[in-house]
Amino acid sequence: MRDPSLGGFVLRVAAWLPVAFLAWYAAATIFVWPIALLTEVVSRLAFADLVTRVEQHGYVISVVSTLKAGTATTANPAEGVVSVDLNTLLYSFGYPMLAALTLAARQPQRWRTLLVGYFALAPFVTWGMVAEFLKHVAFDTPVSVASQAGFGATQRELIAFAYQFGVLVLPTVAPAVFWVLTHRRFLERFAVKHGPAAHAFNDQ
Amino acid sequence: MVRFFVGFLLLQAVLFGAELTPWAQHWFVTPWTNALAAISADIVKLFDSQVFAEGKILQSLRNGFAVSIEAGCNGVEATIVLVAAMLAFPASWQRKLVGLAAGIVAVQSLNVIRVISLFYLGQWSESAFEFAHQYVWQALIMLDVLIIWLLWVRTLPRAIAPAVAA
Repeated sequence: MRDPSLGGFVLRVAAWLPVAFLAWYAAATIFVWPIALLTEVVSRLAFADLVTRVEQHGYVISVVSTLKAGTATTANPAEGVVSVDLNTLLYSFGYPMLAALTLAARQPQRWRTLLVGYFALAPFVTWGMVAEFLKHVAFDTPVSVASQAGFGATQRELIAFAYQFGVLVLPTVAPAVFWVLTHRRFLERFAVKHGPAAHAFNDQ
Repeated sequence: MVRFFVGFLLLQAVLFGAELTPWAQHWFVTPWTNALAAISADIVKLFDSQVFAEGKILQSLRNGFAVSIEAGCNGVEATIVLVAAMLAFPASWQRKLVGLAAGIVAVQSLNVIRVISLFYLGQWSESAFEFAHQYVWQALIMLDVLIIWLLWVRTLPRAIAPAVAA
């Protein structure tokens, strides 16, 4: 097995990153499908009184709520239902980052690692989207709509934190943590080659 | 490794929660963001005098295009990740402080490049700006944090090993 060097590794990451971003963007509709399913399951289990269904339109997921818009009319009640469109790419750009890091590390079974990584990170992507839906309901809708959800002050604070954490931290930190966890041997060999902190990555 | 990750996640949650408080926003995040806009403007003025910063906004006098540096683009969250990773990793306080000082400068330097590149990218193409802003630069900044952390880790003495392996 080759000894990793930081310069070579960084160059390989830089080479893989555009390819990974292109593949991720081009195949977004396919990548998103399982995440849309997971989002629907989570939404309907955890917020059954708020969510009617989840629809996928390309890489956009629409969460259709039970909340009636303030302008709803008796003529067509269905048009008065609040629906929130969520851009899944905003929460899943960690996938190409993980792919570039994993392929650049050139470790055995890297494609298997990517497959595991896809499913391991899916809950974090779902976190971001569910939190954005709740944020939209709690903060971005008229009072007449938000009041139907019945969120209290503490719940609104939790929703705000969950949203901020889901959009600002999880999309990048989750794939980085997954990569470090699945590349401990690579990191250990890297440290052996270039520095004395080799066993810092050893879990034993 | 387990202890490191638990410490890292706890520290990150605490620091991120603290960042969101009104006090931290008023006394730290807002001044930091405004300084970032001012530094970016000063650098841009070296080759383009038609630019100014006001608060967290970087604007072109030539065509009126402006970027507002919002949460997620001011490098605060990336810095929090780096701080949590270095503080949670077993090393002497001296090495942690040196690593943090150098690391924060490195992260923020790349962040200035992000702001300036997006400022010009936005004047050229809105769709390219959106793609780079929302996806590519977010990943690049985190890769920067990861590489800085790896660079720092490999400078640590072997004496730390047993502490981590425990």
